[in-house]
Order: sequence, then structure tokens, then C-alpha cells
Amino acid sequence: MKNFNWSALVLLIILLLVGVFSIYTASTTKIGDEITTENFYIRQIFWIFISLIMLYIIVRIPRQVLDVLIVPGYVLTVLMLVLVLFLPQIKGSHRWIGMGFANFQPSELAKLVTILLTAKLLSRPHQSDWQMIYSSLLVVTIPALLILIEPDLGTSLTLFVSLFAILMAGPLPKFYIVIFLSPLISIVASFSIPIFLVLLALLLWYLYNQRLGWVTMMFIGVFNTFVALISPVIWHGLKEYQQNRILTFIDPMRDPFGAGYQIIQSKIAIGSGGLWGKGFLMGTQKNLKFLPEHHTDFIFSVIGEEFGFFGCLIVLTLFFLFLFSLVRSIRKLKRNETYFASIGIVTYLAFQIFVNVGMNLGVVPTTGIPLPFISYGGSNLLINVMAVGFVLKLINERSIFG
Amino acid sequence: MFKRSTFSTILTVAITLLFLILLLALVRLQIVKGSFYQVVSQQNFVRIKTIPSVRGEIFDCNYRPIVLNVPSFNLYIRPGLIKDKERVADFVSKEFDVPLEEVSRIIINNRYRLYHDVLLVENISYEKRVRVAEKLNYFPSLSFRNETIRNYRYPNHFSGYVGKINPEELKNNDNSHYTINSHIGKTGLEKFYETALSGTPGYELLQVDAKGKNLKFLHYNLRKEPAHGANLILTIDNRLQQYVEEIFPKNLNGAVVVMDAQTGGILAYVSKPDFDPNMFVTGISVEDWNSLMQDENKPMLDRIIHGTYPPGSIFKPITATLGLEMQVIDSQTKLAECVGGLQVGNRFFKCWNHQGHGFLNVTDALKYSCDVFFYDLSTNFTLDQMRDFTKANFVTLPTGVDLIGERKGFYPTHQWYRDNYGKQVSILGLKINMSIGQGELLVTPLQMCAYFNALAHDGVWIRPHLLQKTITKDQVKLYQPEFKDLPLHRQNLELIQDALYKTVNGLHGTGGAAKVSGVDVYGKTGSAENHMGEESHAWFSGYASWEEPEISFTVFLENGGGGGRVAAPIAREIVTFYNDLKHPKAGK
Repeated sequence: MKNFNWSALVLLIILLLVGVFSIYTASTTKIGDEITTENFYIRQIFWIFISLIMLYIIVRIPRQVLDVLIVPGYVLTVLMLVLVLFLPQIKGSHRWIGMGFANFQPSELAKLVTILLTAKLLSRPHQSDWQMIYSSLLVVTIPALLILIEPDLGTSLTLFVSLFAILMAGPLPKFYIVIFLSPLISIVASFSIPIFLVLLALLLWYLYNQRLGWVTMMFIGVFNTFVALISPVIWHGLKEYQQNRILTFIDPMRDPFGAGYQIIQSKIAIGSGGLWGKGFLMGTQKNLKFLPEHHTDFIFSVIGEEFGFFGCLIVLTLFFLFLFSLVRSIRKLKRNETYFASIGIVTYLAFQIFVNVGMNLGVVPTTGIPLPFISYGGSNLLINVMAVGFVLKLINERSIFG
Repeated sequence: MFKRSTFSTILTVAITLLFLILLLALVRLQIVKGSFYQVVSQQNFVRIKTIPSVRGEIFDCNYRPIVLNVPSFNLYIRPGLIKDKERVADFVSKEFDVPLEEVSRIIINNRYRLYHDVLLVENISYEKRVRVAEKLNYFPSLSFRNETIRNYRYPNHFSGYVGKINPEELKNNDNSHYTINSHIGKTGLEKFYETALSGTPGYELLQVDAKGKNLKFLHYNLRKEPAHGANLILTIDNRLQQYVEEIFPKNLNGAVVVMDAQTGGILAYVSKPDFDPNMFVTGISVEDWNSLMQDENKPMLDRIIHGTYPPGSIFKPITATLGLEMQVIDSQTKLAECVGGLQVGNRFFKCWNHQGHGFLNVTDALKYSCDVFFYDLSTNFTLDQMRDFTKANFVTLPTGVDLIGERKGFYPTHQWYRDNYGKQVSILGLKINMSIGQGELLVTPLQMCAYFNALAHDGVWIRPHLLQKTITKDQVKLYQPEFKDLPLHRQNLELIQDALYKTVNGLHGTGGAAKVSGVDVYGKTGSAENHMGEESHAWFSGYASWEEPEISFTVFLENGGGGGRVAAPIAREIVTFYNDLKHPKAGK
């Protein structure tokens, strides 16, 4: 275990313990001298055990065995994502497969297997740039679309962000970043024709300087123009409530009785924690149950309320050090597949941490992504820890498989 | 694209930047604006207030009230302001005459709703309120609210009633619609049309501090208006309903249904004895509940749809039409001679008339209600044929009336007989009994009324219903009745109609007591033997026609005696009253 990244594992375990602690206080209600605790923290401890066992198995199991499992795992996950759409809704979406003692979220598994399969595909030798783009886009879009229908926009986005990171890390020339981002910019710019035309000209000039073929440039130019023309049409074709839904996603404060209300309450909880917090179990906002999903999506607000700036800083520092430690190790991976997979996993962990904490602080749209390692939740925890297990394994075995 | 080392630097920088954004947001919230949020959190200035929707009211076909909302003073408690739990509970229990455990239970169950008012006592009298007002100063957690309460204008079995929502109902229903203080329809129309009646509550976001200054967290849609519940306009006619209540024999239990023959709308729905739904609105007391439950006349039983009884002879038209439709008989066929009964195998099946009826055709058999004709006729059918045909006439099936918990009645199968009477059971005798509506056969009065309504309405069965339309601020929605055909050819239908006419209007017809001059009354009597008592159940079912059939009715009197003697006169009075109401010039 010469290469094993012990510091990342220790940080992970500390984060998991912080999670148990936070879930305990988040699911405890204290009014006067009366204290009631729901048993979520016990279940979380159970899941942590399972997760760490899985982590150990992944680190120890021969690489070839896992390799064989990737494609069947992906197919099975896609089937489960289809199945889940036909199951009854739980809490307003088709996200869970009920299994008696716990609800399983196939979308969590989808994140892991999709990244692993993408890494595998992109590391095959002798592919053209566009071959790589097409194949990886296909592999990501299938589960991402199915997850989007559930609906779970956050998880769906996570997949694309990871893919983007892998492609950036990958063997593609740099100008592809510009090509990938150009449709998004075109959508935003489409509401002002002059601005769009200027941007389009800049894009084509940049691509010309990169010595791209005329056919490719034509295609990219036409595609962007098409996107820019169709966006306003689609926008105005949407029903008012559909437009509102999109606007509310960008600005949750438009929905004062739903997302907006949650974010205000989250901000009040965190803000009122001040520098040192109100103390263990003393969060008034939490105790009054103003915040829904205390122990899951909004657990950071409970930490903020009870342990203040100080507590939040510790948690964020732990997360930062953890990610930093993984990134440093990943750099040393030589084989493309292991490198891509690790980049994808680290990106998706970082993205989820940022989106969840940002949502709690009211600076990022609400997407319903839990806080990795801290939020209560069986399948989410299990998959996140397993994903870390993969990275740790790949780093550990780099001398053998490199 | 990038070298390993370059890319890991990019990734590190990107992650650092994202964390810096979070850090800045954190500094802003907790350090820069920390004290502001502390004040906001202490005072709980920001919260959602529900604006309740007004529950729809219920009216009869002429917009006369049946169920209204009337003003009510209610007592609320705010758990966050309770100083001494025991003292408050004790005070409320004593002053408002509520059991102490009940008050304590509400307080304990809602102890976390610090800033919500929880309903404690409803419908407090004015005198009580004035008397208690002063003492209320000692209990800042208690407050009065001027609200409304459901009021049922007369005891009945169809309106149902509302009651305080229970935790299970709260969990099963869309929780944005109901709060812990909500009322919800528990049975009858109140439950069946709960969604329409209750409407959708509105919301208001409160975001002002103690000084009344707007905190300006949110700028959009701070108030969502409630959509008030729909008013229900029923097909019930209060005048007819009230009249039937008046003439209903005081010493008997039973049911009367009157339907509009053209629409299937129920005009009068009386089941006796009945109870006052108002008892349930504020929560029924233990004594009241026990007395209702222990009353052997079962006032809570809606005999129209919740009671099932042997129909007796009013079932005979079904047996007759089966014979006609299967062409076992025609209008002239005479079956076995009635000599006061019929010998089948080693058993003698008695006719109600011990003198005997002699040889009869189907019309006379119905008119005189001769049992022997139907005994003999039934020997031509299998049990399954009789059962299927009964169900094809929508008898022993739920009618689908817009009420809760309707029963379907009972028509036994072969298997049922084998399971209950042993493998060697002889079906013949059982079939013979059921041909005249006796034996194991059980129906609800509403099924029989719907059947006779179909005979009146050209052989087209209409789903019985109480709702005529719902009215909201924006729209009027009409009830869409469902029509289905009876398995009956026109000439056979006309034959049966003729027989029903002669039963009432012909010489020595059993339904003579229902005759009304100037009106064409059709009907069939029934006197069903039963296990409930010595006397038979008295039935009379039929319809009345002017230019066209307008009403159908079923009168059912539990152990009332002979249908022709007891039930038919009630039908006559109903038709007479209706005639005076709708056709004042006719028949006088």
C-alpha cells in the first residue's frame, strides 16, 4: 500500500463522522427541556459501515473483475432508470425504487457507472476527435435524459459537468472547449441579434485561427445560428407556467411559497448562526421545523445555524483538503482510462458539494442535490463512498496499472 | 488537451475559486449580516400564512339551503405562548366543558407548532364568550376567532357531515390543501364531493419585522388568493323531501326514494330513523355516540344504500321479463294453475293467496302478484341465467350513486350454495324462492327505484344521482348522468308497463291503494318475508306519468306488513303531493 492516499481516506472518514453528528442534531427537536431524536443517525451509521466495506472491497478486488462489470452495470442501470419511471411517485418524483427497508436511487448508481464507461470509451486508441465526442455524448445522454424525466435536473447536470471535465482533460485539442460552450452562449445571446452576430464572428475567427476545416466551421456556424434562432421561438412557445418554472430555477425568489421560501429560511438559519453559532442542538429555525429536508438537502443550514461561521469553515476546509488531496494524486496517474475516471469522479464530487452548499447559501439555484458524505441518505452515501473507493484504488495501483 | 500537471492545476484553481465563492457568501450571511438574521430568526418574522378557502354550500334544486356555513366563535391556542401547560388545559376543560384528556392531547400533539394557532374549541356561545373574555387575559396563548361552522338544515342521510381532520387523513391528502385545523368531509356528499367543496387555500407570505417594516426578502407574488369551494346544487326538492318526512309512519323504520324519471336525479331521499349531522361537526360526545350506536333502530344506517333486504314481489317484473325475453312465455301463455300453491317434487310452495288464483297470464300474474306463476316459470331457467339477468337489470349491483359506501346487495352463486348448504344442495327449491324475490336474494331500495325508473324511462337505466350541478365563481359544471339499456324488447317493456298500470288501476289489483285520479300511476307491491321480524317488509315501487313519466319511487318499510296495505298509500300521497306541486290544474 505504498501509494495509498491515506490522507484522503482519513479526511473522508472525518467528513462521514461530521455527517453523523450533523444528522443527529438535524433530526433532534428540542423545545424547552423536551428532546426528541429521530433515528436517522443510526441508519446513517449503518450505511457508513456498508459503504466502508464496499470501499475496502473495491480497493482490494482485482481490477479485471471490476473492468468486466462496467458495461453490464451500465446496461442494468439504464434499465433501472427506465423501470423507476413506471413506479409510483415518492415525494413527487420517480426517483426511488422502494425496497422495504430503504429506497434505492438508480440515478446515484448511474453517475458512477456512466463516468467509468465514458472513461473506458475515451481511452480506446486510434479514435478521431468526433468519434470520441459522439460516443461519450451518447453514453452520457441516455441516463441523463432518463434522470431528467424523473425529474432530477441536478443529477442530470452533474453527469454533463463530469463529461465536460473528462473531455477537457482528455486528448482533444483546446479549441473544443470553445466549441462545446458556444451553443450555451448562443442561447443566452440569442435575445439580442447584434450581440449574437458579433459573438458568432468572434467564434468563427477563433476557429479559423485554429486551422479548422471549412466543413467543420460551416457546421459549427450553422448549428449555432440554428440554436440562436430556435431559442426565442421555443421560449415564446412555452406556456407561462413552463417559463415560470425556468425563471424560478434561475431565481428561486420568484417562488415565495416553494423554493424561495426554503432558501430564505435556509439563509435565515445560516445567517443567524453568526460567528460561533447557537450551539449544539440549539438551532431555533431547525427546532421550529421551518426548514424541510433538514437532514438531507438542507443539512448545511443546520451546521451553519448551530456552529456558525467557525463550523462552516471547518466543514468547507475538510472538503477542500479532501478534494485537493485527490487532485494531487490523480496527477500521477499515467494510463488514460484511470486518469479520466478519476477526473470525472472528483469533478462530480466537487460539483455536488458546490451546488449543495451554494443552494443553502442562496447563491446557486435549487436542484435537490444532497451534500456528499454529510447528508442523510443510503444510496447517495454508498455510491459517493464507492466512487472515492475507485479513485483510491486507481491511485493505489498506479505502479501496477499506471 | 492539457498535460496532467497543467490540468490538475486548472482543476485545483477551479475548485479553489468555487470554494472562495462559498466562503464569500458565508462571510456575507454570517458575519456581515449575521446580527440582522439573528433578529429575524428570533422573532420569526418570515413565514407563510394560509388563507383558508371557503367551503362550498349545498342547496336543493330551487336553491333552498340544505347545508350552510354559519358564523361560529372558535377558541385557538398558540403553543409557543403557553406558560403553564396544566393550567391552560385545566382552564379550557372547565370553562368550555371539554374533556381534560382531549385538551391535553391537542396541546401535546402540537407542541412544536410554536407560531401556529391550533383549533381547540368550536362553536362557542356568545354568552360563554362574554363571560370568559376577561379571564382570557391570564392566558396569552388562547384567542378567539370569528369563523364559520357547517350547519345542516335538517336531519338526513345524504349530506353526510364534516369533522375535524384526523392525522391519517392529513397524511393521505395533499398537505397543501389541509392544515391541522381543517375540516374534511367524513361521509355522504360532503365526502364524495370533498375536492369540489373544499376548494384550494391561498397563501400569504408574511415578512414584516416587529416595527412593521418590510424585510423585502421576496418581491414577487406575495399573496396567492384562495379558490373557494364550489356550491353544490342538488336534484333534491326540499318541499318533497320535507313532505315525505312528514308522512313517513312514525312507528316504523324504512326508506323512501323519489327519482326524476327523465334525469335520474333523486328528488327525495328519506331513510328513517335519521340523525342530526350537526352533532358530528364539532366532534361528537361519547354519550351521543353511544346512544346512536346502541339504538336498536339504527339511526346511522342509511337504509337506501347501506341496507340490503329481500325485495319480495317487487322483484317479479324481472322474473317475468326473463321469461318473455327468453320466449318461454308470451303475453298470453298461462302456466300452472294456482291452487293456493304449487307442488314441485315432494315440496308444496305456497302462494300468498291461499284461495288460489287459477290459470293466469303474465299480466294478471303481476297484477294479482300470484306466486305460483313465477314458481312455475323459474323451473325453466338455470340459477346462472336468473343471476345474470338480474345483474343485467342492474339489481344486486352498486348503482354508482354519488354517495359513500354503497352496498351491492346479494345474488348467490352455485358455489355459494355448495359452500353454505353442502355439496348435495338442490338448487330447484332455492331458485323457486328467488323467482319471487325471496330466499337469499338481497337488494337495496335504491337499486329497485333505479330499476322501476328504467321501466318508466323507455327501458333506459339512468345512474341515480343527487348532484345537479356545481357552481364556482368562474364556471357551472353540470352532472353528466350515465344511461344504459335494460335487456328488454319494446313489446315486452310495454307488456310489463301495462301490467304495472293494471296492478294499480285495475279491478282487484294489489296496488289499488296507490291510485290517484287524473294521474297514471304504475307500480308493484311487495311483502317480503324476512328474518328481522314477524311482519313482512312492506314494499311499493313504481312511477307516475302525466304527459310523460315524471317520477319514480320506492317505498320500503321494515317489517311494515303488506306492501299493498302499508306502502302503496304512501306512494299515493307522494304522487298526490307532486301532482299538486307541479300540475296544480290536473286531476282536480
